[in-house]
Amino acid sequence: MERGNQENGIREEVKTDEPSSLKCTDQTVSKELTRTISSENHINSEDDDALVDENGMKASQERPLEPQTKDSTADNHLETEAPSDGRKEEETVDLPALSSVDSAGAHSLSISEDTTDSIHDDSGEFVVTMLARAKLEEQGMGVKGTSSPLLETGTAVGNPAHQDEDVTTERWRQHRKHVFVLSEAGKPIYSRYGSEEALSSTMGVMMALVSFVQSGDNIIRSVYSDEHTVVFMQRGPLVLVSVSSSRQSEQQLRTELLYVYNQIVSMLTQASIARIFEHKKNYDLRRLLAGSEKILDGLLNLVDSDPSFLLSAVHCLPLASSLRDSLSQILQKAITPNLVFSILIAKNQLLTIVQEKMVIDDARLDPSDLHLLLNLIGASSAFQAGEIWTPICLPNFNPDCYFYAYISYLDPPECTVCLLLLSTDKEAFYAVAECKRKIEEAMQSQNSLTAIAKAQSYSVSQVGVSDLRHFMYKPFDVPDNYRQLTQFTSPEMEAPYCSEEEKMRLLDLYRDMHSRIHSSSRPLKLIYHVAERETLLAWVTSKFELYTCFSPLVTKASAINAITKLLRWIKKEEDRLFIRYPPKYSTTPNPSKSSRGGKGGADHTDSTDNGVLPLL
Amino acid sequence: MLMISPRMASGTQEKQYNPSLLNFFIYNPKFGPREGEEEKKILFYHPSEVEKNEKIRNVGLCEAIVQFTRTFCPTKPAKSLHTQKNRQFFHEPEENFWMVMVVRNPMIEKPNKDGKPPTVEYQEEEILDSVYGAVLQQCYSMYKLFNGTFNRAMEAGGVELLTQKLEKFFYRYLQTLHLQTCDLLDVFGGISFFPLDKMTYLKIQSFVNRVEESLSLVKYTAFLYNDQLIWSGLEQEDMRILYKYLTTSLFPRHSEPELAGRDSPLRPEVTGNLLHYGRFLTGPTNLKDPDAKFRFPRIFVNTEDSYEELHLIVYKAMSAAVCFMISASVELGREFCEQLDGLVGPQLTLLASDICEQYNINRRLSGPEKEPQFKFIYFNHMNLAEKSTIHMRKTVSVSLTSVHPDLMKILGDINCDFARVDEDEEIIVKAMTDYWVVGKKSDQRELYVILNQKNANLIEVNEEVKRLCATQFNNIFFLD
Repeated sequence: MERGNQENGIREEVKTDEPSSLKCTDQTVSKELTRTISSENHINSEDDDALVDENGMKASQERPLEPQTKDSTADNHLETEAPSDGRKEEETVDLPALSSVDSAGAHSLSISEDTTDSIHDDSGEFVVTMLARAKLEEQGMGVKGTSSPLLETGTAVGNPAHQDEDVTTERWRQHRKHVFVLSEAGKPIYSRYGSEEALSSTMGVMMALVSFVQSGDNIIRSVYSDEHTVVFMQRGPLVLVSVSSSRQSEQQLRTELLYVYNQIVSMLTQASIARIFEHKKNYDLRRLLAGSEKILDGLLNLVDSDPSFLLSAVHCLPLASSLRDSLSQILQKAITPNLVFSILIAKNQLLTIVQEKMVIDDARLDPSDLHLLLNLIGASSAFQAGEIWTPICLPNFNPDCYFYAYISYLDPPECTVCLLLLSTDKEAFYAVAECKRKIEEAMQSQNSLTAIAKAQSYSVSQVGVSDLRHFMYKPFDVPDNYRQLTQFTSPEMEAPYCSEEEKMRLLDLYRDMHSRIHSSSRPLKLIYHVAERETLLAWVTSKFELYTCFSPLVTKASAINAITKLLRWIKKEEDRLFIRYPPKYSTTPNPSKSSRGGKGGADHTDSTDNGVLPLL
Repeated sequence: MLMISPRMASGTQEKQYNPSLLNFFIYNPKFGPREGEEEKKILFYHPSEVEKNEKIRNVGLCEAIVQFTRTFCPTKPAKSLHTQKNRQFFHEPEENFWMVMVVRNPMIEKPNKDGKPPTVEYQEEEILDSVYGAVLQQCYSMYKLFNGTFNRAMEAGGVELLTQKLEKFFYRYLQTLHLQTCDLLDVFGGISFFPLDKMTYLKIQSFVNRVEESLSLVKYTAFLYNDQLIWSGLEQEDMRILYKYLTTSLFPRHSEPELAGRDSPLRPEVTGNLLHYGRFLTGPTNLKDPDAKFRFPRIFVNTEDSYEELHLIVYKAMSAAVCFMISASVELGREFCEQLDGLVGPQLTLLASDICEQYNINRRLSGPEKEPQFKFIYFNHMNLAEKSTIHMRKTVSVSLTSVHPDLMKILGDINCDFARVDEDEEIIVKAMTDYWVVGKKSDQRELYVILNQKNANLIEVNEEVKRLCATQFNNIFFLD
């Protein structure tokens, strides 16, 4: 019953969009600035909102990441609100165009129904939760079952403090980096600081600028003032804007915006975003992303503080190669059909990753996809509760398809070691959960968790070079035939880079050097920079990329000497610092699901063919 | 839209287009606040034949951009806008008066087969904001030097007078902008000083004092030799732009045969009826001419406080040029000019040859005639002193450099890095072409060196630069 409703919801959502009345009312982005700004008011006008809300609610049921939750309060609201005149009317409407990718979302919901049922039956043997679980919980508690459906379906978000910020204050202006996401109709989707409502006119202006320049057959890139760099980026129907006083290069800010875009894609897929806006230009995407603000906030914090994003490389936790090998073997043995990636993470750093053979041959996991996954896991404490089964798209792998991610911590209640299993089969929850049990058992018998707990990042003092304060090393010379993740290694930041400000300052220095050495028009081979408080050296060769930080009084001769020693030390330690030979496995292809089209295979399942995802 | 004619190339080859000026306009948003009156905001627009609505649109975009950036910092609005095809630079030299320069990005046109229109690829990262921002500011400074401030013109004759002045000045000035050759030197806007021994310097100073005493009308004097400054009584900022005018516009227009061998130590022979080589570069071209006009260009200095309007008299003998500045309220006629010519002409001729002689002696003493192998640019923010061995002599039309434009841009990048912090810094980079570029910043001084030793390592490069500092700058500066 419930499932039927949801599917209808999807169809209906599209149907209501068919009448063109809405589309034309919001061909907002007019040619003239003044008009655009006034029409931007129109976006917020009441009757328009009412329509969107109705759709919004329905649409939110389509959302693949939506309630697979134990939180029955929230679920029930959705259910009780379900019947509406529109729906019955649309039940007859069939939209084959949608049934391809969209049904993935629908099915994920239907699975969740099964699993939610089983939760109740099996008295919490496991918990299936959703990405925005925390948010729903807040809502559930807040509304006590008497709320209006409008509240649940989106807008009433348990705002983190900064979202309440007054956007006219100096404090708001002084944030180091603002990020905004809006739709082509100028509708706010996300703002890092301050509520989207309060910023709707600002975002309207942003969209007006974008479309105005576009109308002159040109593309707006950026605006520079003495204080800020404003970078504009358009991706499909979304416009992303970064307003930064960090002095990062435009290219770097653009890369960061791409991460934000990809994180959104990872939740919705590119195809469905495109489709939504095709049908309804002024759709309020926040309805589908409600609750995921946290994930985007977390991503942006990580982007600011974690050099992995700058280097487009993955940071591995240093580990004795014997231990890493044994962990890999454990993962290698615990497999099930359609399992493609088994990833073990500790302290938000990679321990090991094992890939399905075909994946390795065909494509590899892009570091930035892994960053998005790590952020997803880190962004929500909800994942610590039990087992999660959620559809997730890896935008660099294929922006239009979902994987199904099984996420579970192996060491509750500390929750530092996390297992991430990616399958292409949305029905595979039980099979994948079984893999986890095998992995857990094997790790217990080998006492792996204790060994992992002892593993930690290293100190630069271990290198034994006195003037060397910190470094980042990214090798390119991975062994042949192992197309694998780009990795980098870096010691802990130690004195004088202890405070958050100092850490950020060092990272900013690295970012400066990175932008110069990788300048798109004037790349360099080497930079040696003597500044007041430190001396830095950046060096890019065909074999590696290296950033080092020395005390300010180091001489050039001793710096070069230090680098020679450092490279020697890294060579000696490389088995510990990097995943050298990424293992692989072969999961027996399910005979009925053998259409392995490699990367890019679209999801052609329909409602009668449950759970076949010929992704690979 | 103005089409810039490309360098011609055969149909099958790629065509490279340099950055070029697309638009240049000046507006005041307060002048046409109501809808339908937008055109009134526009005080000057180049090219003027652009259609009215297009002008209004472009001004509107600038207003919107400026307003938008004020959301995030009310006091520091936009300086530049980057788009795929062009860059726009904004400058508000006086409150509410905005100058905008639109520069088209360099581009490559690649021909397509089958008669398809060629593919155009814009090179979006080639233009340096710091360089073109400085060029725009220079536009204002130059306008102000000859016309005074926008506000003064408004007070004197309203919008009508201002637009007239803008039209008159920028119509010609914009033609002299050579955007493809702008580089780090435009950022510095420095003054090249003539190196001189103490004795000769004192001679010049006493000459200036004598003339100022005899010609009490003279308010300020500036003395140049070989297009390099030796003495100036003007404020630094005023001298900076006057120097720019003299060296890039006035002097090149007046180069003449007698200067062809200016570096030869020959004393000029005083022959026949020619008692000296002195002549006016501004004002009367020939004093003997009964129809000679005694009108000198007016310049405006100290616009921040006393706001002085002055006659600019430039008088030259051989390689020595002197600027005399006299209050504009005084009428200057034949009598004064003859007096000046009679007094200054012979003295300056003598002085010029003295300087020349001294200069050559010093050059011989200071070592080999050969130019040093170092290519460097030096700039001192305190006295605006600038020295470049990279640039050939600047002429009206072009400034030639002896290094690849990409290396000049790397210098510009390093300069931007230096501008971020107040502290002393040193940056050494190795370019993809294996050239080494060294930038040093110490106190208010900046030095940039380009080294061609491709196989050198960091330590050797360091030694080379040390040698340069020792020989060229007497170790006046720099860490290490």
